[in-house]
Amino acid sequence: MSQARASLLQGTLDLLILKALSAGELHGLGVSRRIEQITGGTFVVQPGSLFPALHRLEESGWLTSIWEASENNRRAKYYTLTKAGKRQLGEATEQWNRVAVAMTKALEA
Amino acid sequence: MFARARSFVRNLLRRDRVERDLDDELRAALDLLIDEELRKGQSPTEARRLALQHLGGVESVKEQVRDVRAGAFFDTVLGDIRYAARLLVRNPIFTLTAAVSLAIGIGATTTIFTIANGLLLRSAVGVSDPGRLVDITRSKERGGPGIDPVSYPDYLEVRTRATMLDGVYGYQLELQPASLRLENNGAERVYPGVVTTNYFEVLGVPAVVGRTFGVGDSQEAGSSPVVVLSHRFWARRFNSDSGVVGRTLYLNGYPFSVVGVAREGFLGMTVVAPDLWVPASMVAALNPEFGERLLVARAADWMMLGGRLKPGASRAQASAEIAAIGVALAREFPVKYDFLPPGVGPTDFSFVWSAEPSSPIPSGLRVIVAGFLTLLMSIVAVVLVIACANLAGVLLARGVVRRREVAVRTAIGAGRGRVVRQLLTETTLLFALGGIAGLLLARVLTSLLVSLLPAFPLPVNVSVPLDWRVVAFSLAISLVAALLCGVAPALHASKADVVSSLKDDAPVPTDRLRLRNSFVVAQVAFSVLLVITAAILVRDVDRVTSVDRGFDSRQVDVASVNLSMAGYTAATGSTFTRQLIERVRAIPGVEAATLSDRQPDPGSMMMGGLTVPGVSPPPGQQYFYPNWNVVDSQYFATLRIPLLNGHDFTDADRAGAQPVAIIGESAAKRFFPGKSAVGQVVNVHTGSLNVPSAPSTALVIVGVARDLQVAPNLAPRLNLYVPMQQKYVPGVTILARTSGPASAADDIRAVVTSMNPNLPVLIAQTLDSLGRGPVEAQLRVAATVAGSVGLIGLLLAAIGIYGVTAYTVARRTREIGIRLSLGAGRRAVVGMILRQGMTLVGTGLALGLVLSVGVGRVLAAQRFGITAPGAATFAAATLLFIVVALIACYAPLRRATRIGAMDALRCE
Repeated sequence: MSQARASLLQGTLDLLILKALSAGELHGLGVSRRIEQITGGTFVVQPGSLFPALHRLEESGWLTSIWEASENNRRAKYYTLTKAGKRQLGEATEQWNRVAVAMTKALEA
Repeated sequence: MFARARSFVRNLLRRDRVERDLDDELRAALDLLIDEELRKGQSPTEARRLALQHLGGVESVKEQVRDVRAGAFFDTVLGDIRYAARLLVRNPIFTLTAAVSLAIGIGATTTIFTIANGLLLRSAVGVSDPGRLVDITRSKERGGPGIDPVSYPDYLEVRTRATMLDGVYGYQLELQPASLRLENNGAERVYPGVVTTNYFEVLGVPAVVGRTFGVGDSQEAGSSPVVVLSHRFWARRFNSDSGVVGRTLYLNGYPFSVVGVAREGFLGMTVVAPDLWVPASMVAALNPEFGERLLVARAADWMMLGGRLKPGASRAQASAEIAAIGVALAREFPVKYDFLPPGVGPTDFSFVWSAEPSSPIPSGLRVIVAGFLTLLMSIVAVVLVIACANLAGVLLARGVVRRREVAVRTAIGAGRGRVVRQLLTETTLLFALGGIAGLLLARVLTSLLVSLLPAFPLPVNVSVPLDWRVVAFSLAISLVAALLCGVAPALHASKADVVSSLKDDAPVPTDRLRLRNSFVVAQVAFSVLLVITAAILVRDVDRVTSVDRGFDSRQVDVASVNLSMAGYTAATGSTFTRQLIERVRAIPGVEAATLSDRQPDPGSMMMGGLTVPGVSPPPGQQYFYPNWNVVDSQYFATLRIPLLNGHDFTDADRAGAQPVAIIGESAAKRFFPGKSAVGQVVNVHTGSLNVPSAPSTALVIVGVARDLQVAPNLAPRLNLYVPMQQKYVPGVTILARTSGPASAADDIRAVVTSMNPNLPVLIAQTLDSLGRGPVEAQLRVAATVAGSVGLIGLLLAAIGIYGVTAYTVARRTREIGIRLSLGAGRRAVVGMILRQGMTLVGTGLALGLVLSVGVGRVLAAQRFGITAPGAATFAAATLLFIVVALIACYAPLRRATRIGAMDALRCE
């Protein structure tokens, strides 16, 4: 897998996770369901990609996590965006938009 | 970034908590999924199965999370190390043998490097900014490596003319012993270093007490009787008492006043460490034979020079300038070296001057020292190669055993790189163990090797510290060795074919066997090389040391005094020596004693030319130049040199009586062919031999002595012995043969001290223990090293042969069993195994012999006095290895012949 493609995919997943969490805290599986929901089912994030990405983002300081009781009264680890995470979401969205516009232009040319 | 660093630390330090957290998170997710499935109406079992399926395997997800964590790489390395350590602990025998053989290889190479580091790489201790110091050297344009000191007048010229240097200092290279006396105590021997007054200033060596030399100390001959003590001497002799400054001490009877103590650690610029320093203007006090001529004569070259580069000046620039100054000096002040008789050597030399990086070994000698250390390093490097080959073979064999483990790891998804990394981690860990043990071993070996060097008659400053360079060296060499011998086996092991390796009785790929075999061949070849090299060196030491030198050196005590140190003259000295030898002979236990100008040595002494009526000297020469020996009566009896004709000197042969001489056998044949030499006359010419007719004295020959074989391969010289009472020399050596093994050295010292407390005894050793020159010392060290490592090499090779044979037998157990049960004779089986083992040994042996011929040639070409190995050495080495190989094959062969049909079947 080439470096460019890997980072693009990784960047996409990160952006989706940040976006999914922008509405409020979610546990791991909740994040994946929210992504599925907001992309209209286009992206289904497997746990094998999801959990590593969550941990990576948390280690980067964009997310924080807390153990709370879940809907059906079980304990679950809930993730929220940090201040840095919100900033990152803004920057990444902006960058994504630039790339998307450029790509669209390029493909229409 | 900061967040990530914090995570890294947390992951590393609170591993358990991080892991538990991950565990909980995934379990919670799993429970959530199960709940959902249950709500959909699945059975509990089915719900659990579906949930797990969705999650994609808890362990697998965990593994992927671990991989993205900060410090994930570090984590797997730690894991690898833990795993490797577990394996090593589980196979203690393997670990121990491997680590020990590595420790020996690494320890040996590190030892030699430590010594090279101490002698060649280290800069002077105790000086400021040693990197800016240079040695100013000159060497003969033609001629090999060596040291050519500079005269004092030349030093003054260089000092004035050099513009690239911030000061040029000089010091006397050869330390002359001096007698030191404090107010009321007896004389003791010290080694003063004669230095220019700017010595300490240029080197940047401050005084800890008092002052060093400075501009206040006059450079006029004899006008500044001051000394600076070395810190070591101050501590040893004066218990670090600061009150010593201002005290008067007597060197060779001259009063000197102590002005200060040099900084701790500073022991001069060479490996010879002076006890104290004296300004150059006082050189005459310490070199009474030459006196103040040393300060004015250009032919008197006794100084080594050095300087400090001016800021901004490079060594190359300084060197170019020094070279130009050298050329100018030769032109302006041509020096005629007329101390050598005409026809014996060149009378003028052209010198090449340069500025070299400052070093404890003067640059002229560096080549020799470096060459010798290279020889030693090559020898020990071979040991390391053998140890590595041995270990590589063992690792390869282990790889075979572990191929199933590797196959399992590959099957469950480990990449080849990952497997290689794991195997390499194991090897590296092994080498780290070996490296640490090697470093410890090097400490022991270094002190051992230093003690092997002949006991120096001088205080030496050989510091061979285990500094960062040494540690870096052994670390680097361990790593390189680990990679070299770990990579091939690891790559091989990782190539395991999953399917066939998981089957029970998969055949071992043949290329692996070939690799293993070539390791054994290499091992044998290099061991042969080592053993033969050791044999060559040992034989040479034997040749040098055990040769019948023509005298009996056993049970002879040697002690020297220099009469000029206590102010004796020719008139008073002769009386003193006569009384001295009488009192030495009176010591109980002394069987015979005599005096001589020196102990018997390979050197030659020239005190004048010789003419013989009716016999012409060699073409182009006016005189014969015999080897002079000034000896007292009983010289021949004490050293047990047979007199072939005539008689020994007697007490009657004293000043004023008829001058007499004894000559050597060769001289007798040369001077008086066909007739008896006794009663004949020779004429000796002393003084300047360049004037047409130098004054001569007629000597009557009273005896002919058997020649001494002073050095192997040297034709005996023309020896001339004259009685000490008729020829005064200030340096006198006492030779005393004792009747038993007890030394009389203490009694001799007591006799001298009681006769004159101002006269220090310079050497008190037995004749046997005195080295026979640097060649012998070098050979002895090299032979000891090669001999011991040769043995180790042989042992390692034996282990290698044993390993490969045992392995073959184990691998072919079934085949052998079937052969035996089908009726093959044990003899045939033995032959089969033996043929295989011996093929390897034979190949290695042949290779090793070829290598040895080459190495023998190289050694013989060096200046170590070594001859190329003969056929006997090769035959002996061949025999030795065949015997060793047979012994190594014995145990596996025994096993092979006991294999029964049942073993073969059980093997299935």
